Amino acid sequence: MKKKNMLTSIVLILFFIAVSILFLFPLYYLVMASFKPADELFRNGLDFSINLDLMNLNNYRLLFTDGGGVYLSWYKNSLLITALYTGLGLFLSSMVGYGLGAYQFKGRNFIFLLVLFVLMMPVEILMLPLYKLMISLGMINKYSGVILPFVVSPIAVFFFRQFVSGLPKDFMDAGRIDGCTEIGIFFRIMVPLMAPAFGAMGILLAMQSWNNFIWPLIVLRTNEMLTLPIGLASMLTPYGNNYDKLIAGSVLAIIPIIIVFLFNQRAFISGLTAGGVKG
Amino acid sequence: MVKALRSLLYSEKVAPYIFVSPFIVAFVVFFLYPTINTFVMSFQEIVGLDSARFVGLENYKKLFNVHFYNALKTNTLYTLFTLLLLIPIPILFAVFLNSAFVKGKTFFRTSIFIPALTSVIVAGVCFRLMFGELDTALVNSLLIKIGLPPQKWLLGYWTGMLLMVLLHFWKTAGIFMVYYLAGLQSIPHELYESAQIDGAGAVQRLWYITLPLLKPIVIYTLTIAIFEGYRMFGESYVFWNEGMPGDIGLTIVRYIYQQAFQRNDMGFGSAIGIALLCLVMIVNLIQLRFFGMFKKERD
Amino acid sequence: MTLWTFNDLHTDYYRKTVELWNEEHPEQPIDLVIDTYPNNEMHTKLLIALQSGVGAPDIADININFFHNFLKGDIQLVELNDIIEPELSQFVKSRFDIYSKDGKYYGIGFHVGATVVYYNKEIMDQAGVDIESIKTWDDYIEAGKKVLAATGKPMTAFEITNQRPFWPMIVQRGSDYLSEEGVILDNETNIEVLQAMYDMIYEHEIAIPMPGGNTGSEEFFAFMNNGGIASLIMPMWYMGRFTSYMPDLEGKILIRPMPVWEEGDFRSAGMGGTGTSITKQSEHIDLAKQFLAYAKLTKEANIRIWQELQFDPIRWDVWDAPELQEPLEYFGNEVVFNTLLELKDEIASPYYNELSSAAQDLVMNDVMFKALSERIATPEEALREAADELRSQQE
Repeated sequence: MKKKNMLTSIVLILFFIAVSILFLFPLYYLVMASFKPADELFRNGLDFSINLDLMNLNNYRLLFTDGGGVYLSWYKNSLLITALYTGLGLFLSSMVGYGLGAYQFKGRNFIFLLVLFVLMMPVEILMLPLYKLMISLGMINKYSGVILPFVVSPIAVFFFRQFVSGLPKDFMDAGRIDGCTEIGIFFRIMVPLMAPAFGAMGILLAMQSWNNFIWPLIVLRTNEMLTLPIGLASMLTPYGNNYDKLIAGSVLAIIPIIIVFLFNQRAFISGLTAGGVKG
Repeated sequence: MVKALRSLLYSEKVAPYIFVSPFIVAFVVFFLYPTINTFVMSFQEIVGLDSARFVGLENYKKLFNVHFYNALKTNTLYTLFTLLLLIPIPILFAVFLNSAFVKGKTFFRTSIFIPALTSVIVAGVCFRLMFGELDTALVNSLLIKIGLPPQKWLLGYWTGMLLMVLLHFWKTAGIFMVYYLAGLQSIPHELYESAQIDGAGAVQRLWYITLPLLKPIVIYTLTIAIFEGYRMFGESYVFWNEGMPGDIGLTIVRYIYQQAFQRNDMGFGSAIGIALLCLVMIVNLIQLRFFGMFKKERD
Repeated sequence: MTLWTFNDLHTDYYRKTVELWNEEHPEQPIDLVIDTYPNNEMHTKLLIALQSGVGAPDIADININFFHNFLKGDIQLVELNDIIEPELSQFVKSRFDIYSKDGKYYGIGFHVGATVVYYNKEIMDQAGVDIESIKTWDDYIEAGKKVLAATGKPMTAFEITNQRPFWPMIVQRGSDYLSEEGVILDNETNIEVLQAMYDMIYEHEIAIPMPGGNTGSEEFFAFMNNGGIASLIMPMWYMGRFTSYMPDLEGKILIRPMPVWEEGDFRSAGMGGTGTSITKQSEHIDLAKQFLAYAKLTKEANIRIWQELQFDPIRWDVWDAPELQEPLEYFGNEVVFNTLLELKDEIASPYYNELSSAAQDLVMNDVMFKALSERIATPEEALREAADELRSQQE
């Protein structure tokens, strides 16, 4: 038995090493490319060799000096918007998802349908009227205009609903017997049980907000207010692309969400929550 | 008064409405007007600043053309293929990377997730070069080595489809794994332990315990994957940012952009969007009903 | 004032222009906020701002491919005839026509985008071809055969997911996709030209469908850089791509006029473009006009457009200015603008109207692919099919 486990273990580890190589290969190429001057990038097509003579930190330097360091303000804006959106979004979406998943009530299916409706509404065709609405609400060129319309994230509501519907409801009844209010049950008993869901949605919302592109671009109006994906995309033009800054900029852009990921994935330690509380 | 408030806080009847209220507020404030407005626009010809003319069903009639059919076909096939990959494989990733057998879980989880963070524009450069059409491009040179003919990846319908599906899988497998990892945590350990005592093997445990208990999450990923499949945009844009030869890569959302913004026909764009919404809603409602979503659960 | 653009080279150009303006006009300084957005999305944003009546900038760069969207219905751009007309005689007029409707000008371009042939001298020398002797496309084909025989390399490559050199090749003959009378995409001239392109690939075998599909793909940069083909037919603004992405061709590239089909054809055609416009939402229309004229119409501005943007400026009386007469090392140490001066009266531009965007999409998506790459339709069939679809949209 022990021997068999060892073998499984080794096979699995080898398998995941292979998977990791496949998944990380493009990133490896981009990191290599970010150290090379633009005119070297396509000299020989896909060149992923390490050539120390050619490689330097120039692209990164350009990133911080060109345009008066506007890259840094994009980075800052993105960080701020992502933090606010993720925090608020988790709080509100988890409440709504919990309401839909934990209770039977009149209108439950209707509201759930409405959530799906908002989720599936193509944002492209909403842009014009939503923009007009933002003007009348005075939210143009403000973070609030970027964050608030989408802060109750239908995709997160849906996930929390699904997650909660898979949790045993005995805990809620136990809380009621102990004299907790319904809100108290949510915050004190259920939220800890939902930790893995918070972990997953924390990653998702942060990632979505970090990569969000088209809506911030419509709402925000000055270069200093723009977010990272917009700034980076503006380096592509019909007359030539700034590959040097673009690639270096995108490599650095990965870092914050990796931190979010590493932090949040600690919620995925088997048995820590549901099983643990049960006893 | 205080008593009334107290009983409100304890009321199981009122509580759910309090919980869902943020959504209702957000919907009424931010979505009701734009949604109605878009719906109205889909029956109009918009000719510029505040001037619109009702054209009845004209915009919807225009949908019956070969480009829309092509887009519909591409999205449908694409959705199908991504479902085949994105539902099972990330489950396996999650199950293995949740088990005690694998050392270095964090590293593997992170490397599967990282592609989700790579900017599509930049990853596109790399994918376009990897799948270049010359014999010297990475993938073609490998094909030649094993004796297969090199491909013009971007010019064939099926090879183009393969590229989009691969790019999407590469980018999305990580976050789907995260959904499943979260789901796995709510499965009590005891279930596995007692099953093991009963002599259930690993495959049986996966089939009889993990999958049924993961069902709510699988329903979620299925819905999301269908929805993302039909609204795909970036995966196509990366490979064909200008010409889309023979409509390879023309998807419904790209068609919206083309008509609404590149041709300045907001009315028709809205009609395409509404049609897309209906389509995704219908497919998903059928699927959700099939999985018993709207039945009253337990109790 | 605010200005939107989609190209950060333009951003730098305008920034410097404002500095110069403020030095020269201390009595009327301009505080210009320049915002750079991604190409497609800037146009989406501008369209939304103009349609909702709020939020548009004073001045905007608009790519020619989007320009005629903004001339639909109730036009939200300011007519510029009063600043353009006094200067018109010094300019390549066709480059203003592309931004006009009903005789009114709504935008001012940066460049002529004169289509030329970029020859790889090294390959041509190997094949023993004298490029000066290539005057007609028949000469070009003959030269191609020599190149093929001597080096095994094709003479050129044609875009499959874009529309060059088909478009300049028909425009040089006075044809086009559209005209004031309607859709002419499937006229005799166009069928002949596309058939000739087809023959170059499959009969004479001197051309190939372009690796990477178009001249903007990374794969093509590498292919061209490594001497994959002996020549390339592209507009002058492509010079920037040569110098940025094809370092190994330094000194080897020579720029010459396009060959002709028959006597009387033009030897070039103006392709692409960015029209700078003023929106009706601007509160400083007069000042914006003065600034625009300063940035785009003066001699000094046009010299700077060459120096800072490497574009062929639309004001031809600067082409012989000393700044433009410097030989360029990358391009065989030649004075590129002498070629252009020779062509001054032979630069036609395409005709644009509301159907242009649809016409271009059809050529890029269907015609080239079906006729030249997949061969599932003859050139004639592919053009007829596309023309019919356009006509059905025209009503």
